[in-house]
Amino acid sequence: MDLCHRNNVTVHGDGPATLIFSHGFGCDQTMWNYLYLHFTERFRVVMYDHVGAGRSDLSAYDSEKYNALAGYAADLSEIIDMYAVGPVILVSHSVSAMIGALADRLVPGRITAHVMVGPSPCYIDSGDYVGGFKLEDIHSLLDTLDSNYLGWSSTMAPVIMRAPGQPALSEELTNSFCRTEPDIAKQFARVTFMSDNRADIAGLLTPTLILQSTEDLIAPVAVGEYLHAALPASTLCLVPNVGHCPHMSSPSACSDAMDVFLLPWAGVHVN
Amino acid sequence: MSTDLPVPDFEALFEGAPCGLVVTTQDGLILRSNRIFCEWLGFKQSELQERRFQTLLTMGGRIFHQTHWAPLMQMQGSVAEVKLDFLHRDGRTVTMLLNGVRRDHANGAFYELALFGTTDRDSYERELLSARKHAEELLREKTAVESALRQTKADLNVAYEKSQRRALFAEQMVAIASHDLKNPLTAIGMATDMLAQGERSTREAKLLEHIARSSNRAQRMIADLLDLALARVGNGIGVTHSAADLHEVVHGSVSELRLAFPDAAIRHQSIGMGHVELDADRIQQLVGNLVANSVAYGDPHQPITIISMLESGIATVSVQNWGSVIPGSAMGSLFEPMTRHSARDDEVRSVGLGLFIVREAHGGDVSVSSDTAGGTIFTASFPATPSNGLS
Repeated sequence: MDLCHRNNVTVHGDGPATLIFSHGFGCDQTMWNYLYLHFTERFRVVMYDHVGAGRSDLSAYDSEKYNALAGYAADLSEIIDMYAVGPVILVSHSVSAMIGALADRLVPGRITAHVMVGPSPCYIDSGDYVGGFKLEDIHSLLDTLDSNYLGWSSTMAPVIMRAPGQPALSEELTNSFCRTEPDIAKQFARVTFMSDNRADIAGLLTPTLILQSTEDLIAPVAVGEYLHAALPASTLCLVPNVGHCPHMSSPSACSDAMDVFLLPWAGVHVN
Repeated sequence: MSTDLPVPDFEALFEGAPCGLVVTTQDGLILRSNRIFCEWLGFKQSELQERRFQTLLTMGGRIFHQTHWAPLMQMQGSVAEVKLDFLHRDGRTVTMLLNGVRRDHANGAFYELALFGTTDRDSYERELLSARKHAEELLREKTAVESALRQTKADLNVAYEKSQRRALFAEQMVAIASHDLKNPLTAIGMATDMLAQGERSTREAKLLEHIARSSNRAQRMIADLLDLALARVGNGIGVTHSAADLHEVVHGSVSELRLAFPDAAIRHQSIGMGHVELDADRIQQLVGNLVANSVAYGDPHQPITIISMLESGIATVSVQNWGSVIPGSAMGSLFEPMTRHSARDDEVRSVGLGLFIVREAHGGDVSVSSDTAGGTIFTASFPATPSNGLS
């Protein structure tokens, strides 16, 4: 199997340990563009797109395999085996944090540490647990996806207008970022937001840095605190940021916290 | 000479533009929104100040904002044609189409958003969407039905082949049984003849005649069964032609039939010359079957009339009886084996093969007419090659 083609794997920089960047629901690996260059001098950096997202091989999308996060975890495991050198630190956004936890459970010890950006083990409230959403909210999202993808042709991202004062993005980028087949997007949304991985992360002993935005609709602070309590070897770092993508809107706050956490595995010390 | 154009009032344009205009900070805080936008959502302009733009959306829209268009604005500096559901102050949903650009300034960036009401278009698109879902559902159903149909056809083929094998086996059994029964019947017939040649009491003679008649009848039935089997599982019923006189052959069978059916009045008329190439055995069988049929179904008090005729290279043998008229509905299946059209059950009945043999055997045409005026007439006609030399 050609993983490079299937998951659009890209490798950057070099170092004694490998950082694997795994993007979340909605976009692709280019969302790491504000962050990953910070690490390429000290780490081997591997980035990839989940099958169905970005520039992955859409023909590899198997709706049965990807009907659960375990399918994505199996892919991640293969990518680690093929591309990782030295200790593996997984940097994962949103739903990828749980994909990473599943991959960790799959081959214990293979992942040395996690950096979870805006993680949530369960999005829907249940009992005392506050995930932040009700089931009808998720249906409302699926509905929004439906009506937006109707307007977009199946292979196009929303039309990009050049903003004043912005350099034109390369065509390659504009055409792949946030591009998803409507059916795949809907299934990924359902799998993401309906998943409950609380049992999978409970007691996971791998060192984990939780990067928690101070204001995040998708992963509220309470969820970050829940995870911190559930992961015995975790550090909770609150990043002053509004929104679900602190690695995009507050990249330096993220990299500062990561530099400290990654110190034990870094090749060259940062000044 | 130049005309002084009035300077456009940009402030008025912003406020009264025929679309919603909103300026926010990067994290969505509304810095300014125009009158139309506020009116569409039922708010006062002052109420929207310092509110986050995304809090005006439905929950689905808010998640979509976080996972899709906020990263897009960040990454690409613009979005266009994003459809969003807003919550009106009174709780109802207002659908708008969003275009937005990021305008960078010294300390960050503004998001400048233009919104277009699209509620009617949205309901049309939703109809399209539900029509597509319906069509996909129908396609799934159709595919399921087709696969069920294929399965049923395959099952049917298997069942059909099975029944074909069973039918063949049954017909072979009939062929074997009727063939094997011929010898003992011939032996019974010969023994009966030999016994009849000696001195017999009246009672014994009567019993012997009974045996002879019954074994003759059994032999005819066996011959019919054998022909049926040949027609079905063999290569058809064989016909061997030789020079003979049609009328004499028919006459011969009539004489035998008079002995076989002593209570019936059987008449024979011959028309024209009779020398042709024919299979005498088959003609006898034909006449025998048609007469047996007439005895079975005809009026026992009326004569059965046989006419043999040779005319213009066509030989015909017709047998007429005065039984009840055959209903039109029965005509179609008249020549099928095992078909009977009378409830009468007496000595002369065979197993219903007679008419089938008649049609299968001689390779010509058999027709039937049945009405009160002319009675029931079976007519067998076949091309007859005139033969030379026989007087």
